[in-house]
Amino acid sequence: MKIAVMQFPGTNCEYECLVSAREVGMAGELFRWNRPAAEMSAFDGFIVPGGWSYADRIRAGAIASKEPVMDALREEAAKGKPIIGICNGFQILVESGLLPGTSGNGKVEMALAQNVMISNKKIVRRGYYVDWVTIRHDASPRRCSGSFDINKGELLQIPIAHGEGNLVTMEKGLIQKLNDEGQVVFRYCDSSGRTIPEFPVNVNGSTENIAGICNPEGNVLGMMPHPERAFFNWQLPPHDPRKHQMGAVGPGRKIFESMKRYIEARA
Amino acid sequence: MGRKPFKPFAFDSPFAFSLVNFATGQLPPTGIDKFITVHSCITIQKRCTLVKIIGLTDQEAEANLRGSGLGMSVTEARSIAKVLNRDPTLAELFCYDAMWSEHCSYKSSRATLREFLPTTGPNVVMGPVEDSGIVAIDDQWCVAISHESHNHPSQVLPNEGAATGIGGDVRDVNCMGATVVATADPLRFGDPYGPQANKVRWVAEGVVDGIWQYGNALGVPNIAGDIVFDESFDFNCLVNVVAIGIVKRNEIIRSRAPKGAGEKGYDVILVGKPTDASGLGGVTFASEALREEDEATNRGAVQIPDPFLKNVLFKANDDLFRLVREVGVEIGFKDLGGGGFTCATSEMGSAAGYGMELDLDLMHKAGDFPSEVLCIAETQERFLIISPRELREKILKIYNEDWDLPNVYEGARASVVGRMTSDGRFVVKHKGQMAVDVSIQHLTSGIRYQREEKPPVKSFSEPVAEEPREYNDVMMKILGSPNIASREHVYRYYDTEVMGNTVIRPGEADAGLIAPVRGEKFGVALAADSNPFYGRISPYWAGATAVAEVMRNIASVGATPSCLTDCLNFGNPEKPEAFWEFREAVKGLAEACKRIWLKGYADQPVPIVSGNVSFYNESPAGSVDPSPVVACVGIIKDYNKAVTMDLKGAGDKLFLIGPRYDELGGSEYYRTILGETGANVPIVRFDLEKKMIYAVIDAIDQGLVASCHDISNGGLAATVAEMALTRPAAFGLEIDLGKAADASMRTDKIMFSESSGFVIEAKPGSETRLAEVMKGCGLDLMEIGSVTGSRRIVMRRNGKNVVDLDLDLARKVWVEGLTEAMR
Repeated sequence: MKIAVMQFPGTNCEYECLVSAREVGMAGELFRWNRPAAEMSAFDGFIVPGGWSYADRIRAGAIASKEPVMDALREEAAKGKPIIGICNGFQILVESGLLPGTSGNGKVEMALAQNVMISNKKIVRRGYYVDWVTIRHDASPRRCSGSFDINKGELLQIPIAHGEGNLVTMEKGLIQKLNDEGQVVFRYCDSSGRTIPEFPVNVNGSTENIAGICNPEGNVLGMMPHPERAFFNWQLPPHDPRKHQMGAVGPGRKIFESMKRYIEARA
Repeated sequence: MGRKPFKPFAFDSPFAFSLVNFATGQLPPTGIDKFITVHSCITIQKRCTLVKIIGLTDQEAEANLRGSGLGMSVTEARSIAKVLNRDPTLAELFCYDAMWSEHCSYKSSRATLREFLPTTGPNVVMGPVEDSGIVAIDDQWCVAISHESHNHPSQVLPNEGAATGIGGDVRDVNCMGATVVATADPLRFGDPYGPQANKVRWVAEGVVDGIWQYGNALGVPNIAGDIVFDESFDFNCLVNVVAIGIVKRNEIIRSRAPKGAGEKGYDVILVGKPTDASGLGGVTFASEALREEDEATNRGAVQIPDPFLKNVLFKANDDLFRLVREVGVEIGFKDLGGGGFTCATSEMGSAAGYGMELDLDLMHKAGDFPSEVLCIAETQERFLIISPRELREKILKIYNEDWDLPNVYEGARASVVGRMTSDGRFVVKHKGQMAVDVSIQHLTSGIRYQREEKPPVKSFSEPVAEEPREYNDVMMKILGSPNIASREHVYRYYDTEVMGNTVIRPGEADAGLIAPVRGEKFGVALAADSNPFYGRISPYWAGATAVAEVMRNIASVGATPSCLTDCLNFGNPEKPEAFWEFREAVKGLAEACKRIWLKGYADQPVPIVSGNVSFYNESPAGSVDPSPVVACVGIIKDYNKAVTMDLKGAGDKLFLIGPRYDELGGSEYYRTILGETGANVPIVRFDLEKKMIYAVIDAIDQGLVASCHDISNGGLAATVAEMALTRPAAFGLEIDLGKAADASMRTDKIMFSESSGFVIEAKPGSETRLAEVMKGCGLDLMEIGSVTGSRRIVMRRNGKNVVDLDLDLARKVWVEGLTEAMR
């Protein structure tokens, strides 16, 4: 089993993603954007990591999504291989039309807009924000590659670090469609799992607290939080009891384990 | 965009004989030695226009220098002409102007630094000789650290100034062959509620934006630092940057030409952004004059940051490091910072005793700029490589093809710009003319000034004030003060998580902690400190307390202080009072390093391995408060043993170490509540300080400590409150102030004295062993109270409640204090 961690100019989370993939037993390597795109077919899955690809020029992810390797990635996606986009990787997948992928023709249907933190109906802050958040898994198990092994309703503590994670759509009915098709994978919630629509629970103003979605087929997942930064228990905040527990693992590990299980299940 | 073709040599150029064909990258058809011999016979045919100095009166020479936009003195110019035995070219004068600037040559400070600072130690791999200092973590791994200031640029253009401050500092660490793993930012802004409030807030916001926009995009976590607001920074903020990296001891790359480079004519390769006129005169006093008189080359003295390009360059540099390891050759590698191309090239050459021949026509650049601009512009995101010719193709491929610099950033690439020589000359050619031809040692040796020192006439006295009747309001004011309030508003902008190494983040403890190497158990802690209010009263104690406090910060998480860096921010050294302040602070910090030993090595000081001196931090309104900012790297053998400062469990006992003294000079209480500075500045009792730091490290190592926080700004009262207010803020606490001092001490002084110490929450059942550890270090452990399940912060004395605050209300004030100040 071999996966590729994509590397665009400005990507900055590829090394820790690779470490996480290897930790769960997937062989992996970095795949630089200017490598021959034909080499992509040799991999069983792909991670598009976070960062500031092409300095976020035009819109976050917009330029990377036009790279020739993205055409190859679309082909690999069509084969049903798992693709997980994290943070800027999510933005790239949205800009490339791979997510939510409902139109079936690669059309860009949504955007990850600037964070807007709203409390008591007032904007209290905008833009870049770093913190640990809780997300609720809203898809059924085995629905989506990156959450293949995660139960519905399970809560995960994972950090976010982004300026543009506020999911907005062009068409009105799209969110309903995503809900109906079970494409909403993660939502920001409080420690009891409640999706309170205001900051700090809805940390970036995202529509219906959405933190991650998958394509209709479920093999492509995009999420704003960084599972690779919540992979080991020592990465957790000090008040999380797992931090000092012998043998405990970080909740982000489940994303990578799911990816591996998904690849195994496909084989 | 296609490849930019190299310009071939002009046929009549003397260099055509001495250099290989850069256009094709082909080695010369005959031996290298021959070419060096040829060079030594060359007579220079054409030299750039000379600036007349010789034979002129002082007034005429002065007019010539100023007319050329130079800031150097006539005496300095005459000494150059004398050594050259002719009038210098304009480019030569600009090179000297940059190299002999305070920034590059430390001409006022070097003697003092040499006299006092301890820079060696059993763990020092490299002291302050190159871009970063390096200390050993274990037999294999090392930490590289650099500490820089970017004060003036950040005051003028806060966003770009702060961003390029980080940019320069991370380059300093990366060029040692290290992976940059963390940054910290000690920041000093003016009074956000004073007469300059709007400007101060504009500067503060811009600086924070510059830091996060650069650091986050680069992908290096910001894990420590501090912010102090003080009216002395109204017109001159301080933006210091600390960067640390990780490197294996046998993979360190030096910032100097390798042995044999001159004899074998090694390549000089310039990498990165195309040279432009940005940051022109960044290090020289000439910048004002340049800006007034030369609009065409004036793009401001502030450089232009590009973290995106830096991110790609760092990865390409990693490939370069891998290549030289595989091939097993030594290269020289250095970043281009202050003094630009001239500084990087000449320092690399002179450090190895060689010379070099450079050709500006071969440099990739953003436009047609004069020689002097190309020589000293401080265009960001550039590196210099000195490498054997047989590596040339491979190195150019890494940057120009693998990482595709020309397509990633317009005009960026790696170019061979010259070669090393063994004749000790620093020769720069441009458009077929000789722009610079000087002795490399003379250029880089700089000059020294013996500055006068004189203590300023200032008098300080303790305030005469009644004890407050009601302490709840006093506590709330202290907690909401911009200098005590939670830093959360700022660090939520910083990507503290990127790289996935972070164990302890800003706000969780007194120091940040990372686990930078997978598979290794060690953690690296980082903190930075300095109190300008102490500096105002006593620069000596400001220096000493900065060292002591930063070491306490490191100890608070359980790490052992391993090395220090200093960034010395002062006024104009030509003024005897400012120079006295500088020397006093250096003496204070040196004394603290020498008297608080490196743990495990009796009588060995904690070494200062890197640093920076920033003078001229003043405006017509006056000089900044003396600010010796100190950063400390600590090592913990097992990062799983580290502790944070948030209270862990109801019923846990709280202990104080460090007796309270009447030391409130410069304290938060005096300034915020009484509106006074005071006189009794906290001093460092070196022996006590050492014992406390060692004892805390040992107690944490033995697993006896649930949480720990050092006492500094705001005293004991603020310290315990912060332990309750820090996330998750799940517990209250109750302490008896009477147990912290004897009956004669006033309650306000017990609460707010800034005498050093620690508050420790013991793990349940560990109290006896904790007391034994303290006793073993010769310390008294004072039990002052306990953690409670009620959401209240309670402080009593003589059975009466002195403070009784609702935890949630207090937290609101504490969290919003900084947001309000920066809005």
